[in-house]
Amino acid sequence: MDFSEEIRGKAKELLESGTVDCVIGYERATDGVGARPLFVYQPNDIDRLIFDQTCTHNLTKYLLNRKGKATAIVVKPCDSRAINLLINESQVQRDKVSIIGVVCPGVVKAGLDNTSGELQDTCRMCQQHTPVLYDFLVGEPASEADVPDTYPDVTGMEDKSAGERRAFWEEQFSRCIRCYACRQVCPGCYCPECFVERLDPMWVGIRIAPEENEVWNTMRAFHLAGRCIDCNECERVCPVNIPLSLLNRKLGKEVEELFNFQAGIDAETAMPFSTFEKEEKLGISE
Amino acid sequence: MSEFISKKDLLTWLGQLMEERNLVAPTRVDDLLLFSKIDQVEDIVFDFDNTTLSPKEWFYPSSETLFYVEQKDGQTELIPAVIEKETAIFGIRPCDAQGMAMNDFPFLEEPADDLYRQHRDKTALIGLACITACPECFCSSMGSGPHDPANVDILLTEVADGYIAQVLTDKGKALLPDNLLTTADVSSPPAPVLSEVPSDGIAEKMRQAFDEPFWDRLADRCIHCNICSYVCPTCYCFDVRDYTDKERIERVRSWESCQSPGFTRIAGGHDPRSTKGSRLRQRFSHKLLYFPRQFGALGCIGCGRCVRACPVNIDIREIIQDVQQLEVKSEA
Repeated sequence: MDFSEEIRGKAKELLESGTVDCVIGYERATDGVGARPLFVYQPNDIDRLIFDQTCTHNLTKYLLNRKGKATAIVVKPCDSRAINLLINESQVQRDKVSIIGVVCPGVVKAGLDNTSGELQDTCRMCQQHTPVLYDFLVGEPASEADVPDTYPDVTGMEDKSAGERRAFWEEQFSRCIRCYACRQVCPGCYCPECFVERLDPMWVGIRIAPEENEVWNTMRAFHLAGRCIDCNECERVCPVNIPLSLLNRKLGKEVEELFNFQAGIDAETAMPFSTFEKEEKLGISE
Repeated sequence: MSEFISKKDLLTWLGQLMEERNLVAPTRVDDLLLFSKIDQVEDIVFDFDNTTLSPKEWFYPSSETLFYVEQKDGQTELIPAVIEKETAIFGIRPCDAQGMAMNDFPFLEEPADDLYRQHRDKTALIGLACITACPECFCSSMGSGPHDPANVDILLTEVADGYIAQVLTDKGKALLPDNLLTTADVSSPPAPVLSEVPSDGIAEKMRQAFDEPFWDRLADRCIHCNICSYVCPTCYCFDVRDYTDKERIERVRSWESCQSPGFTRIAGGHDPRSTKGSRLRQRFSHKLLYFPRQFGALGCIGCGRCVRACPVNIDIREIIQDVQQLEVKSEA
């Protein structure tokens, strides 16, 4: 799959017409194989744009740096859900963003080239191959995949005993180096001051040590309950391979079961985290 | 002729070291390759390019207690941290050993950092020369090389059935008993060929590039996490905080990064590096301009970890190249 020409055509049109002053897309990385984000401001940089199955990054986080500025952005289906989330939470103005949606068969594992066909794990469980939100669509709308089990990883974990789960996560979090790459890349993490950086009172200690790492990682996961759009960026960027998506997907599954809600499917449905119905508490205590 | 140690004798020796001191060596932890304290020599990985995280953790831990303050019988007592046990790090690469030598400049310059000095004094480095290299390696452009013996106590180079052993310092002599060494007619394999990075004259170019919009454009892509700083062997910034309870105060330092928002925020709220571009420029200026200016050597040793780990491909090799080619408009 290679949609580079289509993306370039659309970028040229949007930049030259003055509709936007920046197009956020992808270019080839320095290894000659993978992709990296690209900001195009000038028509003569348009030819650097690419789109193929190595384009793994969720670029929507960058929209938060361009508030109020007319911007075009290339999104895959999972990324498009992040824009809905950000519109729903009043972080992105819909009329300032031109969304170039791409029909996505899934992206390949890190280090592999476009032709390898070996998809990332989350892509194999993904049901959404056409963006939920776009102004321009690249590729033929795909019929949605019939994935029989969308949470095999989570149910696999749920089958373990509480003790086993605790031991598993303790070991994973013990490796955390608190680089905060998971937060920095996450479109749902945009607090002007993250709780982990609060100094007075200090909510989480600065010590890069198991107990404090555990507080950091679990609090971040709870803040994303019903907000995570499952782009897997946190897990992809983690330099010590902590399976963060597993944690976020568990909370996503809980929210789906309790509230019949999936983040980012549209921009209007009230978010479970920011609304309260009296009858809700009935289900939660079980 | 070279001094030689067989693979079998090496394992025996490492087993002995493990008994008498902390032995730290590359191990596999899930998909990662990490320097870990060794409990059984079977866990040591010999066949690797380089570890995921740098060995700086063993000189300058990600978190470390500097001292305690305690109340005893009405007296206030300061109890400094003491490193008691000797450590040997096996399998450190020449680039990383160079990195530790670079850290000596800021940490050991008077007034020296006592805890770092204790770690350094009590640690011996048993280096492994590189036979292969990662695609991102560029140590030979940064003042070191895949077979550089300069900063280790012993350098081992793998050959058939064993290792060529170069015992380079008194610390190394004390560590490796003579009777384990034989003389053999083996020669060192060729060093891997690495990509060239044009580092000559980069400090001056960095100075000229200070006000260039280049940095803001680069920062568009940067997500400003701390990965590069934390995987880097020569990034040494830290934060200090007191943990207090009724009985005592513990002063702790932990890694920090110039990429963090608020790293340079001062009382009153002003932040001289409030833009993402200025933070990104700081990291590269520190390595390529300020460090050379202050200590006479480049602050990057070309291990390539930041290139491998960066989620958005901020590539210091490309930055050095781009800065060398920048057409600087005018000198202030």
